[in-house]
Amino acid sequence: MISGLTRDERVQGLGLLAVVGAAGLVLAVAGRWDALGIHGLLIVLCCALLAGYVFFRLGDPEPTEERLSRYYDDPTKVGIALSMAWAIFGMFIGVWVASQLAWPDLTFGQAWSSLGRLRPSHTTGVIFGFGGNALIATSYHVVQRTSRARLAGHVSPWFVLLGFNLFCLLAVTGYSMGITQSKEYAEPEWYADIWLVVVWVTYFVLYLRTLARRKEPHIYVANWYYLAFIVVVAILHIFNNLAVPVSLGSSKSYTIWPGVQDAMVQWWYGHNAVAFFLTAGFLAMMYYYLPKRADRPIFSYRLSILSFWGITFFYMWAGSHHLHYTALPQWVQTLGMTFSIMLLVPSWASAGNALLTLRGAWHKVRDDATLRFMVVAAIFYGLSTFEGSFLAIRPVNSLSHYTDWTVGHVHAGALGWVAFITFGSIYTLVPSLWGRARMYSPALIEVHFWLALAGTLVYVFAMWNSGIIQGLMWRTYTESDTLAYTFVDTLVAMYPYYIARAFGGLLFLLGAIVGSFNIWMTVKRGPVAVEAGRDLPAAAVALTPGE
Amino acid sequence: MSEEVEVDPVTGEQTTGHEWNGIKELDTAVPRGILIFIIVTHLFAFGYWVLMPAFPIGWTYTKGLLGINQHEVVEQALVQLQDERASWTQKIDQLPFNEIQADQALMTNVRDSGRQLFGDNCAACHGQDARGRSNYPDLTDGDWLWGDGSPEAIAETLRVGINSGHAETRMAQMPAFGRDAILDRQQVRQAALYIYSLSHPDASTPENIDQIEGGRTVFADNCAGCHGENAQGDREAGIPNLTDQYWLYGGDLETIIETIHGGRAGHMPTWDERLTPTEMKTLALYVHDLGAGAP
Amino acid sequence: MAELFHRKIERTAIGFVLAIIAAASVGGLVEIAPLFTIDDTVEDVADMRVYTPLELAGRDIYIREGCYACHSQMIRTLADEVDRYGPYSLAVESQYDHPMQWGSKRTGPDLARIGGKYSDVWHAMHMNNPRDVVPQSNMPGYPWLATTPLDISVLPAKLSAQRAVGVPYTDEMIANAARDAQGQATPDSDAAFEAMERYGEKTQVSAFDGITTQVTELDALIAYLQVLGQLTQAAYVDTAAPEAMPDEDPAGAPATQAEQ
Ligand code: HEC
Ligand code: HEC
Ligand code: HEC
Ligand code: HEM
Ligand code: HEM
Ligand SMILES: [Ca+2]
Ligand SMILES: [Ca+2]
Ligand SMILES: [Cu+2]
Repeated sequence: MISGLTRDERVQGLGLLAVVGAAGLVLAVAGRWDALGIHGLLIVLCCALLAGYVFFRLGDPEPTEERLSRYYDDPTKVGIALSMAWAIFGMFIGVWVASQLAWPDLTFGQAWSSLGRLRPSHTTGVIFGFGGNALIATSYHVVQRTSRARLAGHVSPWFVLLGFNLFCLLAVTGYSMGITQSKEYAEPEWYADIWLVVVWVTYFVLYLRTLARRKEPHIYVANWYYLAFIVVVAILHIFNNLAVPVSLGSSKSYTIWPGVQDAMVQWWYGHNAVAFFLTAGFLAMMYYYLPKRADRPIFSYRLSILSFWGITFFYMWAGSHHLHYTALPQWVQTLGMTFSIMLLVPSWASAGNALLTLRGAWHKVRDDATLRFMVVAAIFYGLSTFEGSFLAIRPVNSLSHYTDWTVGHVHAGALGWVAFITFGSIYTLVPSLWGRARMYSPALIEVHFWLALAGTLVYVFAMWNSGIIQGLMWRTYTESDTLAYTFVDTLVAMYPYYIARAFGGLLFLLGAIVGSFNIWMTVKRGPVAVEAGRDLPAAAVALTPGE
Repeated sequence: MSEEVEVDPVTGEQTTGHEWNGIKELDTAVPRGILIFIIVTHLFAFGYWVLMPAFPIGWTYTKGLLGINQHEVVEQALVQLQDERASWTQKIDQLPFNEIQADQALMTNVRDSGRQLFGDNCAACHGQDARGRSNYPDLTDGDWLWGDGSPEAIAETLRVGINSGHAETRMAQMPAFGRDAILDRQQVRQAALYIYSLSHPDASTPENIDQIEGGRTVFADNCAGCHGENAQGDREAGIPNLTDQYWLYGGDLETIIETIHGGRAGHMPTWDERLTPTEMKTLALYVHDLGAGAP
Repeated sequence: MAELFHRKIERTAIGFVLAIIAAASVGGLVEIAPLFTIDDTVEDVADMRVYTPLELAGRDIYIREGCYACHSQMIRTLADEVDRYGPYSLAVESQYDHPMQWGSKRTGPDLARIGGKYSDVWHAMHMNNPRDVVPQSNMPGYPWLATTPLDISVLPAKLSAQRAVGVPYTDEMIANAARDAQGQATPDSDAAFEAMERYGEKTQVSAFDGITTQVTELDALIAYLQVLGQLTQAAYVDTAAPEAMPDEDPAGAPATQAEQ
């Protein structure tokens, strides 16, 4: 990895590590009476380890100018590895949390492993760790290919990737120590939030500068989505996380938003984290790797335009569907519901665009599990967005809200769509990235596919059942027009489904482990591609070194 | 870069002429189905905005032609539910307990609604089967701390609670004789042995008969004021009978010592502000029904 | 036409980004900004009080332990929820909540009106191991709360930060935060009376976890649970909720949504 960087760049990297490490030291000292101090030390430790790695390789051979006529894929490779590592971590925690709900003693009486602390580790691990790394890694890959230009920089891609992982690390270690803002999907505390802003702005600049170098006049659809993902997530993150720390030596802060306004800002964020992290970013992946793998043109450019702007505009109105019948004024709920329904059109337009792109390539779907991953993803995308719009209808939400139905919907999207499209993309990407003819074992891709599909179906059906049953039990009245079931009755009815869900999740996790093994073996000893080297940027133009 | 427009052989559509690393796009028109879909969803949205509260305008918002507001809707729904229940709740409100108990149809209503009321409010302490557990009395055993176990007495317990924050709460405190140094260790032990022997006659063995006799004196001097000369308690004041097999905190020697040493004051919350009079009356009947009243 | 235009903006990255920002900003602006300008978003009630320092500390523990992962604090305007949990929640009830704890999942029951429902002793047992009192429960136990002393020294800083985000704590409250927390958990102490003077007659002074020699995290958490739904009587007044009326009229008879 280090061989791709010049000596100057290595020194620059050390400089950056020194700055970040110093910031960590400040936190460690300021927060010495608080868990914040531990995080300060963790930052120092991470920087020191990395600095050691770079320092002892300062004298390694340097790359030649020739590197500028190739794509810069080292950060993508590391990003994929990190993504798979987080996938296994996050899903393992998911299976653990699922098992705790069925067998609560699996907490083992420890504070760090109680459900309220583990659950955000799961959501952060899978959404940000697994999903985020996959997005960053693929965005680096796609933007270079579709611009036919090398990444605009050598140090900044590492800064973004590793900085983002530091954020994830602060997040999950923080939860285990009880550091959380309690804002779903934005739980990390103020200092981690500020750090993410720095990382994200760098990401944005890097992306824009790379696009500025493109040799294609038009920006490809995938990049529209990556851009929307980067820009809107920044906006959401900043507004939702505005907070006042108790002191500069304390990890604890209070959000500036009070009560009902906080609820609205939180779900404006929460819903659009779904939209721009879990949807836009992965649509970008789909728009590149699906046509690549199927070797078909995108079905309709016009449909791409319609769905992109529809998604960008409508999604931002829909957050209030998380607050139906609550103390949020009803007019906002109306907007949330109606925009969610209008949102179905662009959502289905994207799913349709993907599936119709396969016209003329369906025979490949039968034989190629990688492509099948992406097809199933598009189907689940269509399904979960339909379900989402349905759940956003007030009377439906009166039943589904607070129940496992939401969790079922989440995982139809998260497993069926997000994870499937990611695995499909990674299987497409890995061989070409490491110069292999194909993945190490196509049979293992099949195994992964069926484990993942079975796991998803078991999970989602279990939660649909439990959610609807619980929702109905809560509102069942007796002949005497009083409530029929106690809360505990409804809890007892959930246990069989909680066990089934844990089993489904286990299958899915096993699939991910099989996939990681396959990727590892592909890198280590996959069959070498004959035609290595075709994957090059436009006529090698000398780029300013050090960028 | 190829700016040439081609025709895709599979679909017969033209490409846009752009290409990105081998990916091309067709210039297919937006399918008509999508356009219809747009129109339908937008019409629905517009209609909904006109009828319901929807858009903010400065210091207020559009109220919608239907004038619907979720607070009024739920309040109407609650009133309607109350009306539906009225067919039996009115009788519960008006009739005395014994007449309700005689009315089988009404008792069916009581059992129907009592189960959930009990489960969501009382079961946390008394258990779903109302059999209680250590520190929380069994409500089915026919042994009562307060009153005669009649629905009236139970209803009163519910209304005011025991050692609760209610202004008229029932109060019952067992002093902490050991901790507050009213009795020494030896005396506490003697009293406990004496109490224990009341319900376990075989416990008076020759070895500890002296202790028990000592306990009898301690009891007469300190406890009889509340628990009565023969330790049978007082149901008007929530004083437990110490001669029977029913124990709130436990009848083994250890626990009795603990009770005398540290005192006791069980807290039963008041339900006056949380449940309606009808609900409390229903619950009283339900609980009485479980335990079949006094033995 | 529109398409032509699109071909233009897809040639400029900056232009495209600006277009994204423009398209994505509308929804949030229209839905969030008016929540600060429209008066009846939050009901105006006179009897709403702030959390005492002990309750605030308890709330922070509730957040730290992630109780919101399983418990909502938002009774919706639906008849069955009112029947089960009590009067539906009003916006004013979380007026001083930074952040709100409305929640999105009910693995356990709603807690918006849990205050006063059970005894402190019950909560102490339940938090230690829920299955001791509710055998079917899947809630984790939190046994370490009873043995961890509460850090009361940070309370003044916490109250100041709360004031910075808009909660009306006075200088006096901030200065005495630690003492007030101690007092609330120590019945019959001088500090207890002072805390009641500062936070009002209704402040619940109790030995919460049953031990008065030390203020623990469990004291704070129970103090918080016992005040949920008790900060104002607004939800009980003049809503058709048949659940209960407070026996005395709260000061200044709060106006509710239904009246306006
Ligand atoms: C001031 C009145 C009072 C006095 C004096 C008193 N008790 Fe009690 N005792 C009570 C009350 C009230 C209870 C029930 C407490 C409760 O319900 O939580 C009780 C409960 C008990 C119990 C527990 C019963 C059970 O079911 O677990 C025992 C044992 C007992 N007392 C023994 C004694 C002895 C021995 C003495 C004298 C040393 C004594 N009491 C003096 C009022 C008193
Ligand atoms: C927080 C726990 C708790 C809850 C909830 C609770 N109780 Fe109790 N209850 C107690 C305790 C403790 C006692 C015994 C008080 C004492 O020690 O004197 C008691 C006593 C009683 C008694 C008097 C028993 C007797 O022997 O006289 C009745 C009746 C009763 N409860 C019914 C109910 C009903 C009905 C409900 C639900 C509406 C309920 N309780 C909810 C804790 C609770
Ligand atoms: C795994 C999910 C879960 C977590 C996490 C959890 N709870 Fe619970 N909680 C439950 C369930 C299920 C019940 C109902 C059964 C029972 O009473 O234990 C419950 C019941 C309760 C009750 C009684 C509610 C009533 O009306 O009966 C309280 C109070 C409570 N929890 C507080 C907390 C607090 C405080 C925390 C965090 C420190 C917490 N819970 C964390 C699942 C959870
Ligand atoms: C048209 C698209 C979609 C709409 C309208 C939509 C709508 C909804 C609704 C109504 C809820 C339930 C809110 C509640 O009752 O609490 C919800 C929850 C959720 N959805 Fe979707 N959804 C859509 C697509 C997706 C997709 C593709 C994902 C991808 C993973 C997703 C992830 C989630 C998540 C994570 C939650 C849970 C939020 C929480 O923590 O409560 N949604 N969505
Ligand atoms: C091995 C597979 C997985 C298992 C076993 C699993 C299990 C769980 C469990 C048990 C919960 C908590 C539900 C509750 O509180 O009732 C949960 C929540 C969640 N999971 Fe997963 N999960 C898995 C994979 C994923 C993946 C891959 C993603 C995202 C990419 C994801 C995203 C989420 C989200 C967003 C929530 C929060 C839902 C909400 O708040 O409504 N999960 N998961
Ligand atoms: Ca945050
Ligand atoms: Ca949630
Ligand atoms: Cu949403």
